[in-house]
Amino acid sequence: MERKSFIQSSVAALTASYLPALPKFEDSEDETLFVSPPALKTGDIIGITSPAGYIITQEIQSAVKKIESWGYKIKIGDTIDKRDFTFGGTDEERAKDLQQMLDDPKIKAIMCARGGYGAVRIVDKLNWEKFRAKPKWIIGFSDVTVFHSHLNRNFGIASIHSKMCNSFPDDWSTAEPVQIETIESIQLALSGVKMKYNVIPNSQNKPGIADGVLIGGNLKTLETLAGTKSDINTAGKILFVEDTGEYMYSVDRMFWNLKRTGKLSQLKGLIVGGFKIKVDEDADDFGRTLQDVVLEKIKAYRYPVCFDFPVGHQKNNYALKCGVKHRLNTSATEVTLKEI
Amino acid sequence: MIKVPPYLQKGDTIGLVCPAGLMPVERVSECIRVINEDWGFTTKVGTTVGRQYHYFSGTDEERLEDFQHMLDDDNVKAILCARGGYGISRIIDKIDFTRFKENPKWIIGFSDVTVLHSHIYRNYNISTLHAPMANAFNEDGFKNEYVQSLRHALEGKKIKYQVKQHEFNRKGEGIGELIGGNLALLAHLVGSDSDLKTKGRIFFIEDVGEYLYNIDRMLYQLKRSGKLDKLAGLIVGGFTDMKDTERPFGQTVHEIIRDAVEEYDYPVCFDFPVSHEKENYALKIGVGYKLKVGKNKVTLEE
Repeated sequence: MERKSFIQSSVAALTASYLPALPKFEDSEDETLFVSPPALKTGDIIGITSPAGYIITQEIQSAVKKIESWGYKIKIGDTIDKRDFTFGGTDEERAKDLQQMLDDPKIKAIMCARGGYGAVRIVDKLNWEKFRAKPKWIIGFSDVTVFHSHLNRNFGIASIHSKMCNSFPDDWSTAEPVQIETIESIQLALSGVKMKYNVIPNSQNKPGIADGVLIGGNLKTLETLAGTKSDINTAGKILFVEDTGEYMYSVDRMFWNLKRTGKLSQLKGLIVGGFKIKVDEDADDFGRTLQDVVLEKIKAYRYPVCFDFPVGHQKNNYALKCGVKHRLNTSATEVTLKEI
Repeated sequence: MIKVPPYLQKGDTIGLVCPAGLMPVERVSECIRVINEDWGFTTKVGTTVGRQYHYFSGTDEERLEDFQHMLDDDNVKAILCARGGYGISRIIDKIDFTRFKENPKWIIGFSDVTVLHSHIYRNYNISTLHAPMANAFNEDGFKNEYVQSLRHALEGKKIKYQVKQHEFNRKGEGIGELIGGNLALLAHLVGSDSDLKTKGRIFFIEDVGEYLYNIDRMLYQLKRSGKLDKLAGLIVGGFTDMKDTERPFGQTVHEIIRDAVEEYDYPVCFDFPVSHEKENYALKIGVGYKLKVGKNKVTLEE
């Protein structure tokens, strides 16, 4: 046995002996094994941490005030105002801040202050044992897809894909209604309300009804998790993807990655969120639309597909519960997604 | 055991195709002239050379057909991809390698062609050539040692590459089959049927025009998918035109790579001439090499 792995496993064994034995979750396709953290009650504490990019106190003030107006209390983590170049502190500092919040029984939910890049650098440094014994909501999107995917693959614990502190407007009086509504949807998700979304139908949607656990997130992040222990298992699930700032060829290549790693063949349904495509002015036109790029990969399958779902790096980015069973219903006149 | 396609004899035919991005005929003509006149081979120019379908050198069907035709033509002894770009991922699963498996021939290129290298090595254990493409012949490029190394590789000459020392190099000696290519493509292939097995191999990587954070993220992916821990050696090629975000990453690309493999003890060499620039030696994928990283020099030999 190598020295390193021996030390790691003995530490894990030591930690485990102080905790009740956890049921095994082996990358399961059994929906009944998925668990949701408890809904939040008035007075519960939400921790704010920055596992990826750096952010300063001033930038989270609006979120703090808003969340307090929902009746929750806030605990601000040590990574807020910390900076190590692009990161909200060194890997050790970011891991430590998140670890404390995962382990603190008083904290009932953890909101990532912003995305950026960095979650993958700390995911393997975290000890998830206490979190698994007492799950709590982890909230965020973009780079936070690493955590959604990791929890989904390894523990079957639900999490919230939504806007983060840096999307809360400073001036609510000038905010667009959709901006306010999407932020309020985080509170709905936390309060235990069963979510329901009505979406404007896109003419290229594929009709159908699908029941399955919802998973997904940022497509590029999902691609870079392929082959790792945080890689999602999509069989029997409803997958949603979104991305921003990628060239069309790159989006195409990422959908080939999904297909060639077997992630599209056994889906129950596919939800395509916002894709902000970067234009390459020197290059020739790619010759295919986003819809073409997606539909050609899944020609052989009959599951429902919905485009333009309000999730992504955009104002209409509603809170979605990853790891929770939903029903997707797409028809020519109506598209709904609801928690069941 | 790796199957090595027959080396080329005078008069043998090299097929030229564009399996990915479009390439105007005039950018290929010097390459054709040099292969015919100077190298003593003949060329067969595929239908995708000079063709255009938007971004690509033809529709998926056209690119597939041209490549397939060259693969199945017994008179064609090597296939030189005229350029990379993007597009092989779109046709790789439709290529029929049945005849190729029986009659292996050299497949040549880099960048997007990494998909072919990786797929063929993983599934058929046949050697391919990571080497300069048509554009490298232009502007007298055919005279440089890098384009010449392609000729030597095709002729079956065993070459020993000797390169300069780099301050981040990790000394040591490693022996193993040589594999690798463009980092973004290798990362993109992880988990697919074309994914590389790296254990016990000498692994080389290069990339161009990527954001530093993305290089870091791809290395984390390779690491977390178990591709960096059991190497015989690591060859870091050119990482050119790197981009940084508004909030700087805080490390150079060399530092990022050095840190990613810090915990292992195999030899590592930086700035090896395999890149999107002129410095791009021909490397035989799947063939056994010895990498020696010493105090003053680095050698790579078959």
